[in-house]
This record gives sequence, C-alpha cells and structure tokens, in this order.
Amino acid sequence: MSLAFRIFTVCYTFLFTALSLFYITTGILGKKVRWGYLAAFCGSAVLLQWLVILGQILFYVEETGQDIIPLPFYDIVCYTLTALVLGWMMYRAFCLPLLHTVTASVLGTFIILTAGSVMSQAVDAYSPLFDRQHFLAFVRLYIPYTLCFAVAWVAAFILRRSEFHRYFSALFRSRARGILTLLVSYILMCTLPVLQLISPDTAPDVGYAMFFFALIVAGLFLIQFAAMYAAGQDKIKAQEETILQQQAHMALLEELQQEIRAFRHDFTNLFSGLTLQAQEGDLEGIQEFMRKTSSYFDEKLGSEIAQMDGLNNIQMYPLRSLLTSKLAKMRQMQIKAVLEVLYPVRTEQGMDMEDLLRAAGILLDNAMEAASRKEGLVRVVLLQEEKELYLAVANNYDTAPDMAALNRKGYTTKGSGHGTGLSSYRRIVSRYRGCAMRTYLKENMLVQELHIPVR
Amino acid sequence: MIPVYICDDEQSVRQKIAKILSEQIMILDQDLGPVCTLEDPQELLLQQKENAVPAVYFLDIDFPGKISGLELAQKLRQYDPRGFIVFITGHGDLAFETFRLRLEALDYIVKGDTASMTVRIQKCLESIQERMQAQRPGQGNYCTIKILDTVRHIPVESILYFEAIGYRHTLQLHLDGELLEFNSSLDHFAEKLGEDFWRCHRSFLVNRSRIRAVHLKEQAVELDNGETCLLSRKAKSEYQAQC
Repeated sequence: MSLAFRIFTVCYTFLFTALSLFYITTGILGKKVRWGYLAAFCGSAVLLQWLVILGQILFYVEETGQDIIPLPFYDIVCYTLTALVLGWMMYRAFCLPLLHTVTASVLGTFIILTAGSVMSQAVDAYSPLFDRQHFLAFVRLYIPYTLCFAVAWVAAFILRRSEFHRYFSALFRSRARGILTLLVSYILMCTLPVLQLISPDTAPDVGYAMFFFALIVAGLFLIQFAAMYAAGQDKIKAQEETILQQQAHMALLEELQQEIRAFRHDFTNLFSGLTLQAQEGDLEGIQEFMRKTSSYFDEKLGSEIAQMDGLNNIQMYPLRSLLTSKLAKMRQMQIKAVLEVLYPVRTEQGMDMEDLLRAAGILLDNAMEAASRKEGLVRVVLLQEEKELYLAVANNYDTAPDMAALNRKGYTTKGSGHGTGLSSYRRIVSRYRGCAMRTYLKENMLVQELHIPVR
Repeated sequence: MIPVYICDDEQSVRQKIAKILSEQIMILDQDLGPVCTLEDPQELLLQQKENAVPAVYFLDIDFPGKISGLELAQKLRQYDPRGFIVFITGHGDLAFETFRLRLEALDYIVKGDTASMTVRIQKCLESIQERMQAQRPGQGNYCTIKILDTVRHIPVESILYFEAIGYRHTLQLHLDGELLEFNSSLDHFAEKLGEDFWRCHRSFLVNRSRIRAVHLKEQAVELDNGETCLLSRKAKSEYQAQC
C-alpha cells in the first residue's frame, strides 16, 4: 500500500468520526447544523487527532522505546480533547452554557466511540479474510466509519424529532446536577478505553461487542430517565408556582371587592348629603361637591382596576402569572405599582418563553429592591407593537445609581454575593438577535427598557 | 421658529387650545409658531413632511374610527424624533406612562375648564423652553441609530464610547446617564462617525472629545466620567507616533 493511500485512509476515518460527532451533538442539543462550524470542527478535529498521534509518538515512544502506542490511552486523550473542542464550538455557535454543550459533546463522543468500535468488531468478526490489502482496508475501515456516520445521522434525526433537548436541558437546572451529568457522561465515554487498558488481551468478538451495545443502550436509557425525572420535577414545581400565583390573584380580587364595598358605603353617605343640598337648591354647593368627588373613584380604585385591566391584556399566561405574583409582592412591600398594558400581548414572541420570563423577573426583582424605602414606586409598561414587544420597568430610588458602574459585572448595592441578576439578564438577552436594551435615568426614575422583535 | 400643531376631532377643543396657546406663547415670548389646527390626523402627517422639524404636537388620544393617538405619535416620531408631543384627553386615567416612556411624550392635558388647562399648557411650554435651551449648545452633530422600528438621534457630544461585546455583533453604547445595547457592528459606526472617534481597541470606539487621559503603561483610555476603555498595542503605537 502506498503512503498516500494510508494517509488518505486515516484522514477519512478521522473526518467521518468528526462528522458523526458533530451531527450527534447537534442532535442532542436539538439545534440545526451550522455549516460553517461543521467545517471548522471537521478541520480542527482532523488536525487535533494527527497532533495527538504525533505527540504520543514523540513522548510515549521516545520515552519507553515501545513501537506500538496502546490504543486505549490514545483514545482517552484524543476523545477528551475533541469533545472539549466540540463543546466549545457549540458554545460559540448556539450561545448555550458551556457546561451544557461540553456534556452534550462528551455524550455524543461516547455514543460514536462505542458505536464505532461495535461496528468495526462486527465487521471484523463477519468479514472473510482477504489477502488484498486495499480491499481489506476498505472493508475494515471505510465501511464501519461510514456506517457510524449513518448511525449518528439517524440518531440525531430521532433525537431532534423527539425533542430530546428539552429533557436534556432539564438536567442543567442546578449546577450540581449539571456537573453530575457531565461526570456520568465522561465515565461512560471512558469505559471502553479503560476496560481495554485493564485487560488488553480480551479477544474482541461478537459477544463482547454486544455487551458494549447493551452498555450504550443502558447508558442512554439512564440519562433519558434521569432527564425525564428532572423535567417532571420541574413541571411539578412550575404547577405549584402557578397555584401560588393564582392565590395572589385571588387575594387581589378579594381586596378589590372589599374596597368596592367600602366605596359603596361611602357613596351612599355622600349621596344622602347631596340629596339634601339638592332639595335646598344649593347649586354652588353641588358644584363644589362634584369637583371634589369626580376623582374620588379613580383615587380609590383606579390603580387596582388598571392593574387588572393590564393583566387581562396579557394572553401569555406564564407572563401574566409572573406579573401577578410580583405585583402582589410589591403590595406586600408597600411599593406602589403601576402596570400599563394597552394592547393585548401576543403569545408568540421573538424570545423563548422561559428566557422572557427570566429576563422580566430579573428586571422586576431589581426594580423592587432598588425602589425607594419610604415611598417606593415601580412602573411596568408592556406594549405590543406591530414589529416588537416593548417592556419597560422603572423604579424610583433613594440614591441615584452609578450608570458607569451599573455596567460592570457583579455591580450591586447589597454587598458581595449579589449582583448576578443584571449580568445574567444581559447574557439572556444577548442570546437573541435583534433584541435591544436600554438603561437610563429619567425624572428621578431608573428605567430599564427591553425591545423584543416579533417572530 | 418651531411650528405648533393641534390635532383633535372636536372643533371646540381645538379652538380653545389654540387660543390658550397663542396667548401663552405671547406671554412667555417664545420662539414658537405658527399655531396650526387640524382635524384629520392624516393631514397632520402630510403637513409635517412639508414643514420644519422639530415641532410641537398637541394630539388627541383617540380618533374614533381612524387612528389611535399612540399610532399617530409613533408615525410622527419616525420623522421627528426630537419633537415635543403633548396628549389631550377627556379623562384623567389614561395610561400615560406608556406614552411617556415609549414616545417620550412630554405631558398630557385634561379637557376641562379653561383655568386648569391654561396652567397645564403653560407648564408644557416652560418645559419645552427648558429642553430647547439645554439642547442648544450642542447644536452640532447627531448620530442616528435605528433599533427595530425606532429611530433615535443622539447628540454626538453625549456619546462616551461604543463597545463591541460577545460574538453576536452586539454593541454597547455608553452615553451620559444612559446605556444602550443593540445589534450592530463597530465598523459601521467607525466609518459613519469619522475622525471624531478613535478606535483605541478592536472592540472600543471612543469619542475623542470625551477622553480625559491616555494611560500608556496601564494600556487604558480614561474618559471624563471616570470610565476606562482598553487600549490595544496597535493603537498605542499609533498614538505614540502621532505625539
């Protein structure tokens, strides 16, 4: 065999491994394949694998004098590195958290690694012996790696169709859970090479391959189960929250009813006085009375009714619940809250519901905390326009915030450990193209604006 | 002269406001006028294009069967981002916060007796005068920024610096007392703003007139409000070559 053919064969296997890795990882993350990143990853992965081989020849072979590099050792180093590179690329391509993408790429590596070895062993076991080397290489290397890519493509398709990424992202709700998932995936990935390292003499046969096939299935089931469990827990939690928010809504309604009752009482009293004046023909007195009482109703009930009107205009139910609970909290803290939602807010926005809720939650929490201690005032404006959703949260303050410092990471008025809200708000929003945010001071209010384009 | 428009579908209201306005403009001796009354909002949109901007607009909150005051104001704003908008309403409980924040509306006037309307209009005119005087010294250049559908004209002298952040072509614009984040590229603004701005780093574009000091050793550019920007090695050598 010529050297060129050998190098080409190795490159071919590297390239197909990289392709399969990329496809399966995008499948796990539930995203579309981005061609630019695919090309970049394939290039860098092939390069990386060559570099690892070179490095090992230089260090390992030179040091120990052995000719043959132990394959498992090579596998672990090589696949860890490629998984890291892939994770980082996904992080850049899709703006997802790094932990998330690295875990997905490690998991993808595990699947591809195991599937690849199963394929090649199966081919090994069943292919007849050839004495023609080109044909042998074709059967033993080209076919399994190409098949491996096909498997990855099909798996990615199924994962994307079944929306596996929803379950998958549920595994990263808490940091500890995410790190645990990463560890489990990594251990799964390392199982095959480590086993080979421990007992290098095991003859690879079909039973052995089947064992690993079973391992993939079991491992995937485990992760799927864990993910579904986590998602279920989240759902229960969300439902509990909804119940709490509905209770807050009920409380608001009850309060309103109480006030209407009190108002009715007042009103009958006032009117009896008015009737008396009318009987006496005291026109000036009546005019005086009208002037005084015309704004009475608005003062008493206007803000509550306006709030209810505003809330009713939000058809996006989770957002309505969020606002209800935050407004209830503001009432508890004796902060005056004004909510204005002039037009119905559509349910489809250019930002995922979860992220929109988190962003709005951070803005509201910040406004609540920063509002003046004595006479706190928070204003919330939501405006549905033709091309965008406009959200503004304004609050008054005791001491004017430092605009230059507000921008710095971890700026807070509450001592260390706080100040992550605003930076995570920025991170969430910057993930979406076309969104714009604005922070400014206006007439003793700090205003935070968010523009979200309509999808 | 800054034109004044009154747009309301009730003739009595139009006349009343026009009368109060002309009187008050006389009293305050302002550079406003002529006062123009209109019934149809479409006509106002046409007239606006013909006459000078900025202008002062007194708008009804609602034109039944036609256009809402909010939409009208949004259309006016597209052409005249620096004008002054005052709304006229029949009742006190309008959602003014939306108008004030979204459209930077100045105030609103409740239709009612002449005395209280006069007081309110007087207040409006005073704050218009105040704002125009605040704008005057910098009657220089404006930097136009389009965010989704909103066009903003930002006085160049209030810009501190632009910073490119993240991977998705997000720009952060630091102004006096304001922070703006939107999708655009630094190159675009570097080209548009020309020599008044200095690209002191791959991801920073600084207003030259706002620089307080350049710290060569710390590789930082200090601005007059105390904020600092990074200074790249390339820009540093450029700077040293110029000195």
